[in-house]
Order: sequence, then C-alpha cells, then structure tokens
Amino acid sequence: MRIKNPKDFWAGLMFIGTGVFFAVFAYANYQMGTAVRMGPAYFPFLLGGLLAFLGLLVFLEGFAFEGEKLVLPFNIVDLVIAIAIFAVLLELAPRIGLSPDWGMLAASLVVSVLTVLYRPNAKALVLISVACLVYGYSMKPLGLVGATAALVFISAYGGHEFKWKEVAILFVILILFSYFVFVKGLTLPFPMWPAAWS
Amino acid sequence: MELFNNLILGFGVAITPINLLYAFIGVLLGTLIGVLPGVGPVATIAMLLPITFNLNPVSALIMLAGIYYGAQYGGSTTAILVNIPGESSSVVTCLDGYQMARQGRAGPALAIAAIGSFFAGCVATLLIAVAAPPLAEIALKFGPSEYFSLMVFGLIAATVLARGSLIKAIAMVVFGLLLGIIGTDVNSGVLRFTFGIPELSDGIGFVVVAVGMFGTAEIIANLDLKDKREVFLSKVTHLYPTKEDLKRSWASILRGTALGSCLGILPGGGALLASFGAYTLEKKVSSHPEQFGKGAIEGVAGPESANNAGAQTSFIPMLTLGIPGNAVMALMIGALMIQGIAPGPQVMNEKPQLFWGLIASMWVGNLMLVVLNLPMIGMWVKLLTVPYRYLYPSILVFMAIGVFSLSNNPFDVLIMAVFGVLGYVCVKLECEPAPMILGFILGPLMEENLRRAMLLSRGDPFVFFQKPISLGFMVASAILLVIVALPTIRKKRDEAFVEESK
Repeated sequence: MRIKNPKDFWAGLMFIGTGVFFAVFAYANYQMGTAVRMGPAYFPFLLGGLLAFLGLLVFLEGFAFEGEKLVLPFNIVDLVIAIAIFAVLLELAPRIGLSPDWGMLAASLVVSVLTVLYRPNAKALVLISVACLVYGYSMKPLGLVGATAALVFISAYGGHEFKWKEVAILFVILILFSYFVFVKGLTLPFPMWPAAWS
Repeated sequence: MELFNNLILGFGVAITPINLLYAFIGVLLGTLIGVLPGVGPVATIAMLLPITFNLNPVSALIMLAGIYYGAQYGGSTTAILVNIPGESSSVVTCLDGYQMARQGRAGPALAIAAIGSFFAGCVATLLIAVAAPPLAEIALKFGPSEYFSLMVFGLIAATVLARGSLIKAIAMVVFGLLLGIIGTDVNSGVLRFTFGIPELSDGIGFVVVAVGMFGTAEIIANLDLKDKREVFLSKVTHLYPTKEDLKRSWASILRGTALGSCLGILPGGGALLASFGAYTLEKKVSSHPEQFGKGAIEGVAGPESANNAGAQTSFIPMLTLGIPGNAVMALMIGALMIQGIAPGPQVMNEKPQLFWGLIASMWVGNLMLVVLNLPMIGMWVKLLTVPYRYLYPSILVFMAIGVFSLSNNPFDVLIMAVFGVLGYVCVKLECEPAPMILGFILGPLMEENLRRAMLLSRGDPFVFFQKPISLGFMVASAILLVIVALPTIRKKRDEAFVEESK
C-alpha cells in the first residue's frame, strides 16, 4: 500500500489518536451512566468513538485518492524532542530550587536555539510560538518592559528580515502604546519593571 | 408598530456618545484590517475579546460587529485599487474592480462598491429587525430535543458549506466538541480531562483557543510565504459614477443584496459565500457575460452588495437562536458569554437595549463607513506600504497582552501558543479550523441538551425523530449530507472553492 495523500494520512492518524484517547480516557476514569442518566463519561465516549471513526475514513482516503505533498518544516521526531526538552527542564527547575517558570523559559531558549541552528525552515513557527510563551512566563520576573522586549525581538527574529535598529524603534513604540492603553487606560495590573529592581 | 418602537429604542441606545464612539472604533478597525491583507476579522475580533471584558455588553458587541462589516468595506478598496484582496470575501472584487481601475475608472468602481454596500447594509439591518423577533418567538418554544437537533443541523450545514473535505470538516467539529468538554462537568461536578492542572477546571478559555487558532497560526502561515508586496497605485481621478454606470449596476445591487441576505442567514454562510455566489449570479444573468473579468461594473456591484448583506444577516441565527453560523459569530457568542449573557432567544426579551441597540448601530456604522471610506481612500492605500515585518510583532503584542490579562496567568499564553501550533498544523493538513471553533463553543450546550432530552424521553434516542420540529432539522441535516456526498454536486462545490483560492 502506498500513501497517495500524506495530508489525509496524517490528519486521519491525528483524529484517530485524539478520538481513541478521549474515549478510552473517559471510559477508564469517569462513570458511564445510562442513556437516561448520562454519566460524565457518556458524551465524550460517544464523541471520541465518532472522531476515531471519521479519522479512520480520512486515513483510508489517504490511500485511495492522489493528493499534494505535505510540506511541514519539522518531522515527528523533532516534535517529540521539543516536547521532551520542555518536560525535562520543567521537571528539573524545581529540583535546583528555581520556579517551573524558569524551566519554561530555559526550555523555550533551548528549543529556539536548536531550531535556528538545525531547522531554519521552522524558524517562524517556533520563534512566534516561543515569543508568546516567553512573554507570558517572563511577565512576573521581568515586568511589562522586559516581557514586551522579549516578545518583539524574538518574534521579529522569526521573520525574513531582521534589523536591530528597526526592531528597537518598533519596541519603543509598542511599549509606549502598551503602557498608555493597557496600564494607564484599562488599568491592567502589570508590573512595569523587573521584580528584582523594586 | 412594535417594530417602530423597537427601532426607536435601538437608535436611542446606538446614538449615545459612548456607543457612537465604539461603533466608530469598530468600523475604523474593521476598515483597517480590511485594507491590510493577512489580518482578518476573525483574528482581530479574537484579539479584542479580552479587552471587551472591561466594556459594557452593548458597546462591546457594537464594536465587534463594526469590525466584521467594516472589514467588508475595507477589503474592496484594496481589491479595486491594487488588486490585493484585503479580505477573502473581496477576492472576486479584484476580477473586475482592478480592471476598471486600470481603465482609469477606479473612482466609479469604489463609489459603486460603497453605494452597493451601504444599500445592502440598510436592507439587511431592516431584515434583521423584521425577521428576528418571530424567529426568536419560535425558538423560545424549543425544548432540549429541538435544540439538540438544531445544533446538529447548524454544525452539519456549517461543514457542508466549508471548503475542503467534508469528512475532515465534520471531524474538526467533533474535535471541537471534545475540547469543549474539558473542565468541570456541570451535572456531576467531576473534573474531566484536566490531568490535575487546576487552570483547566474551568475549561479551556474560548478566547485563548480562538486567538491561538486564528491569530498566531495565521501569522506563522503568513511568515511562511515570502512577503513581497508590490503596490502599483492607480490614481483616483473622478469619483462619481456616470449615469450609464448607475443604470447598469442598480439591478446588480438589488440582486446582490437579496442573494447575500439569504446566504448570510444559512449556517456556514456569511460574507465570503455571499460574494462568490453573487459574482456567479451576475455573470449568469448578464446580457454581456464576455465583459466579466475585463471591468464590468456589475461584477463589482453585485459581490460588494452581497458580502455586506451576508455579513449582517449572519447575525440573525446568532441573535435569535444562539447558534453561530460562522467563526465570527462564534466569537460574538464568546463575547456575550464573557459578559455573562447566555446567548439564545431570550436575549431579545431580557436585553432589548442590547438587541435593538446592536441592530440600530449597524445602520449607523454603515453610514460612518461611507464617510470614512470614500474621502480617505488615499490614506488607506498608504497603509498597504507598511511592511508585514512591522505589523506582526505589533499584533502579537496585542494578542499576548490580551490573553495574559484574562487571568494574569502565563498558563493561558501557553495554551494560546499550543493552539497556534495546532492551528498551523491543521492548515497544513487541510483541516479547516473554523468548524472546530463552532464545535468548541457548542460542545457544552449540546451535551446539556442531549442529557435533558434523553432524561425527558426516558432514554429513548428516537425522541429526536418524533417531535416534528426536531425531525425537520434531522431530515434537513441528512439531506444536506446526501446532497454534498453526490459526486456531481461535490465536483461543483470543489470548483467553486478552487476559484476562491486563486
């Protein structure tokens, strides 16, 4: 059997996996109940089964009809490695006396560097996602100014062109805007400066 | 004369200074993102949802609605002047609009687009005011089995009209329904699929999913394409259409409005479907179809009227039934929920200010759009020269700050990033994210109504086929599925969407 449409093949696998997971997890952990009095497992079990069935149809279609090539900037091994890096560093951080937030930041950094070095095509995907992550997890330790700087510089680096001067000007405009609209205008309780400074 | 009184009530709400201001902000933002390719109304509304938390519900909805129909105006401007559709619903406007601009008739094309949109907006607003109350009246009589069947119908119809593989679209709906289940089960209090993470006990935030799936995923997808935009500006000399132009386009405007209004009400419909339908219709009924694609004014007037009409009538099922027809309406329902308002037919009776205020604001907003658009065309086009590398970090800042502010918890930003990656992968696998978001918002409602219906029927699943209204929805869903599965229709549908993706 030859995979004729890799997009259907992988989409089908994704749906089957998700469906089976939800159905089995619901069945194993929650009460099924009866059709009259449905327990918490009933609806997810039904839906999980339905999703797995639909996934199977899509999966089989992947062998039946010719389709375009699937171009992803990463493969399944890369994905597993990235998740493993996050898992290990999140587990490691509390053991050396740091908060898990630092583990998250460290993992983001490692994954970004690895991506830039070995998977340049996935630069946009990884750096944009990581930029958001870093923004969220650095807000408490670094304040709004630090977090915004991280977001702007990392995400800009994920684009096609990166000029320090331009990005710096963009950062200044955005931090001023954030300050006046969100902190002053909408009175959101964000710290402005790194926690260590005050 | 209840309608009249209701409209007066609505205008009373809509023309308070604060609501005028928010309508203005909405249509201004809408025009802005309409002009800019790569930033759509779904992402923008998702981005602004967290901020609406701080507004009162009427102002919030007025602003968000303004963004949606405002984007239809803005999209046409760049389609005509520089052959770049700012919105997917103005793709067809490029065909004839840009040709007119090349022939030095950009002014009349823009004017006809604006006139058509304004006329369609007025008619659609009136249609909402007339059609919504009786629909809501019927919907109030719905029991759990009717509601469940209606949701099945809504979701099926939305997938039928979506592009791409039908099975994948339905699978995405089911996937969304499953994600909607995460969190505390209302009936038993059991935490489902939370894996011991306390942040998940209230479920995954709708805003977070929407921003990730549509916002970050869109930015990543845009960066994947090399952005090389070249802007050739055609000069706008005279704005006013000639008598001949008006004579040729008034019928198209009427047809576009009628078709757009009908297609907008359908689940899965809205601006996009309306504009494509209208272009095809105009080409069919025209006495000189050979001029289409070479600057026929009907090819601008029809679709532009239709997309605005469709954008507005798609509010009807959302306002009266609480069922979203497309992703934008799902976001509107999300906005209502953020405000603690349960969407559904009771909104009209319980919150008349909100309901009629929103409708009246659409008319006000349409008027503002005409004023905003025609004299300020030059400025909007200048915006096109802003490179994407300045835009996307700015958009990211707004999205991240909005999501973070939901609960001052970095976990929300993490979920947003995860859904960004998921959204990107889904696009690559040709699985549309829009059906997923519809499923996600309807998941808890569907489960609740299924449980109640089964409880009332003592576990008899045939209850959905015994009550006439419920049976009607089920039969309609089945017919829809069969029709789409038929090979000839399937081919036609694929062709229609091929034209779109050009």
